[in-house]
Amino acid sequence: MTTFVQAPPTALQARALTKTYGVGATLVVAVGGVDLDVVPGEVVLIMGPSGSGKTTLLLMLGALLRPTSGSLVIDGIDTTTASGRTLTRLRATHFGFVFQDYNLLGALTARENVELACNLAGTTGPRARSRAAELLTRFGLAGRAGSRPDQLSGGEKQRVSLARALANDPAVVLADEPTANLDSARGHEIARLLRRLADEDQRSIVIVSHDQRLREVADRILWLEDGVFREIAGMALDPVCGMQVERTGPSLEVDGTTFWFCATGCRTEFAERHGSTVGSQPR
Amino acid sequence: MTTRLNRSVPLARRVLFAERRRAILSVAGVASALLLVLLLDGIFAGAMNANTYYVRTGPADVVVSQSGVRTMHMSTSVLPAGALEQTRQVDGVAWVAPISFSTGIVADGTGRQLSYVIGYDTTTGRGGPHRIVSGRAPGLGEVLLDGIAANQLGVGLGDTVLVLGSPLRVSGLASGGTSIVNTTTFVSHQQYAALRSDVSAYLLVKAVSGVRAGELARRLRDAVPNVSVQTRSQFVASEARITRDMSADLLRIMTILSFGIALAVTALTLLTVTLTRLRDYAVVKALGSSSGRLVRTVSAQAAWTVAAAVAVAVAAAELLALLLSRLLPTVQVLVTSGSVTRTAIWAAVVGVLAALGPLPRLARIDPATAFREAA
Repeated sequence: MTTFVQAPPTALQARALTKTYGVGATLVVAVGGVDLDVVPGEVVLIMGPSGSGKTTLLLMLGALLRPTSGSLVIDGIDTTTASGRTLTRLRATHFGFVFQDYNLLGALTARENVELACNLAGTTGPRARSRAAELLTRFGLAGRAGSRPDQLSGGEKQRVSLARALANDPAVVLADEPTANLDSARGHEIARLLRRLADEDQRSIVIVSHDQRLREVADRILWLEDGVFREIAGMALDPVCGMQVERTGPSLEVDGTTFWFCATGCRTEFAERHGSTVGSQPR
Repeated sequence: MTTRLNRSVPLARRVLFAERRRAILSVAGVASALLLVLLLDGIFAGAMNANTYYVRTGPADVVVSQSGVRTMHMSTSVLPAGALEQTRQVDGVAWVAPISFSTGIVADGTGRQLSYVIGYDTTTGRGGPHRIVSGRAPGLGEVLLDGIAANQLGVGLGDTVLVLGSPLRVSGLASGGTSIVNTTTFVSHQQYAALRSDVSAYLLVKAVSGVRAGELARRLRDAVPNVSVQTRSQFVASEARITRDMSADLLRIMTILSFGIALAVTALTLLTVTLTRLRDYAVVKALGSSSGRLVRTVSAQAAWTVAAAVAVAVAAAELLALLLSRLLPTVQVLVTSGSVTRTAIWAAVVGVLAALGPLPRLARIDPATAFREAA
């Protein structure tokens, strides 16, 4: 078990967080004794292969799933022992959620989607409407407030989803594959917006994703495998796009120095600039 | 109470009406079922209204009839000899108008109408039609028909019709006396005596100013033996009760059928809307909604469905009543406030029962499903 500890104050503190399914021979450990502290203003990216327990961990962090053991303290409340009503209130007031499929309510307009989250947090009437309008404006969607989700592009939907996640002014934003359904430009845009939420609002952002593009905005990258965090290799910087990349992808040796890239496109561009030949180096 | 200032996003209404075609069909389905009840109720209310028209619009405060006879509809009344004089002598009586009465057929060569045939004193007009719209009161050898009945028989002023088998000339036309069941025909006392007998069937009694109808009825009961005495409102209530008793079973069956249809449509709508929106509800729950809030959402949808259906049904019933009065003048449809209230209460019960269907599904929604990829 690997422990990642930050100095207090923490927005979220998990200790030996464990979730198992089944018993005896059928026992499956989805998450096994994870420790995690997330501080305000920090962006934590949790990566890992499919089935590694990322979503289970995110659900526990978001008070949507009770851990089997361990503790998870949010805003002074240990969610492992809190009542269902307390967890519901915690979700309404303490967390913002960003979903892979956006999960906007199709029957509501963009403004109403955001306003509904305000209502759930206890803000109603003109204050909620004003808050929704302000957030949509912040994300460049003032002109799309009256549109329904089916009238919005993928990037717009995810920005509405971000606005909704902030409706209750949450301390922690939990994002599940927030860029998975977006093209490159929109993916980078959402990644930058998440970074801004941490920098400008001092919110804690926890992202679960496979998307390498999100590495550039993360303060910490945690690798979850078989339900536990593992050490990851020191990161390298892609000299073309500036992304932090693992030292396992496309690479090129120039003048005795090995450079690592996010994709073969960057490697090709780099090679052309330096007059090198890209060999058959595996990605 | 939710005011405009603290109003939340109307999630229930938005979700319910998101698919307009389904919402319109659902409301129309429930409204049709309710309309059936309203119309049937309205037709019987109209028939009741028409059946009581003669007594209800007359000037008498008290009606005296044969002992045990409390209505004109489906009744025969023969007053004992001396009842007229005894009634006249009672303190508080302003005037007494005896009328003859029987039920019979009014016909011309091509058509026939079931009719109340009333003989009255044409010199005073008491006991006669409420309003003569054309012509004049009938004399010997004459009859006064209701305008609608005359129209259906295809006769007018000066034409001859058979009344209780005897040919009489139409001297005038009245209004308001024809219902889906029968019509009202007036002849003079002398003519009635020629047709049947000169025996009085009912006494219409007017109280002097300052004497209440109830008090006069009490005095008459004490003074005149072997008769039934009712105030006008009691007599009208007795007539209405007969009509209601005749229709009660049919109304009850139709109400239960309509209730079942409305319940099925509403329940199916709510269940369908809920099942197709389960992921939305999971998202709302993930965002911090309690199960109670979701239950309120479905309850509000039930309320919206039945409220819209009641509004549509009442509007349609009023419209049909208007149309029917033009197309079928004998069919009077009265959409009463009592009928609307009863239907609305039925609809509310339907709404509550229909809302129970989706509740178990809502209670079982796992907010974590919002994080699974949509199908």
